[in-house]
This record gives sequence, C-alpha cells and structure tokens, in this order.
Amino acid sequence: MSAREIIAVALLVPGVVVLLLSCLGVLTGRNAYARLHYIGPSTLLGSTLIAAAILVRESLRPGGIKAGLTALILVLTGPVISHATARAIHTLESRRREDR
Amino acid sequence: MDPWLASALSLFMGLLPCGIVVARASLMERVVAYEMAGVVTSLGLLLVGEALQQPSFSDLAIALALLSFPASLVLVRFAERGL
Repeated sequence: MSAREIIAVALLVPGVVVLLLSCLGVLTGRNAYARLHYIGPSTLLGSTLIAAAILVRESLRPGGIKAGLTALILVLTGPVISHATARAIHTLESRRREDR
Repeated sequence: MDPWLASALSLFMGLLPCGIVVARASLMERVVAYEMAGVVTSLGLLLVGEALQQPSFSDLAIALALLSFPASLVLVRFAERGL
C-alpha cells in the first residue's frame, strides 16, 4: 500500500464511521427533531471525508472530480433540506397542538 | 478485502436503521430517515464505483444527490400541508 492509499483509507474510515453513527442516531433519536440533527454530520463531515479520500486516490481524474462534485451537492443541499424539514415538523406540531 | 468495497458494504448496512425508522416511526421521522438514506446511498454508490473502478457508479451518485434534493423538498412540502 502506497502512502497515498494509506492517506485515502485514513480519510475514508472516519467518513464511513460518521455516516454509520449518524444512521444509528436516526434510529435511536427520541423525536423528529433529534433524528433530524444527524443529517448534519452525514452531509457535511461524512461526505467531505469520503470525497477527500477519493480525491486523494484519484486526484483530478474524472472519478475524483465526480466525488468532489457529489460532496459539494450534498454540502450545499443538506442544510437547506434540514431547515425545510425542521420547519415542516414545527408546522405539523403547532397544528396538532391547536387541534387539541 | 478491498477497503473501498468493505466501506461501501458497511455504508449500505447503514440503510437498515433508516429502513426500520421508515417502517415504524411517525410521518416526519420517516421523512428524516428517507433523507438520510439518500445521502448514504449516494456516498455508497461513489465508493462502489471506486472499488470496482467503474465510473458509471459515480454518475449515478451525482444524479441521486441532485435528484434527492427536490424530492426531499417536495415530500417535506406535502407533509407540511398534511398528507
């Protein structure tokens, strides 16, 4: 294994661990808000680490560029989706409280 | 085993908790689990493409990441109005 491969795997493993822990967090969260929190680390940290690992391995070949592009899309859209989902959760809960 | 393939397989195992939440939880919790599943699948496809050295999987990953954004927004909008 070359130094490049070692660095790539060193970036890959924490990225995968972050994503798996986020999935466990979605499973064990007490309510929708708590579960929603785990989208953040997966889109921001997990995707960045995995894309960095692929970029280290592939450098600026098409595979590396595509990985970077995927991570960029996830990083940019993740907070927007989280905000929209939180707003929807709040709206539904407010509506339920009014109905009681 | 190739670390890339092992990582991809372990990532896809992360879909199991998301599937459990989709099967059992309330509406908005299902939406959250669906969004997480989209992120995990997109990154898993990237890793499969890297493991198998097949660039077509990376194209799938980009397409999924792009399409899951409006899909999530539409789903959230419908859920907000009351499905």
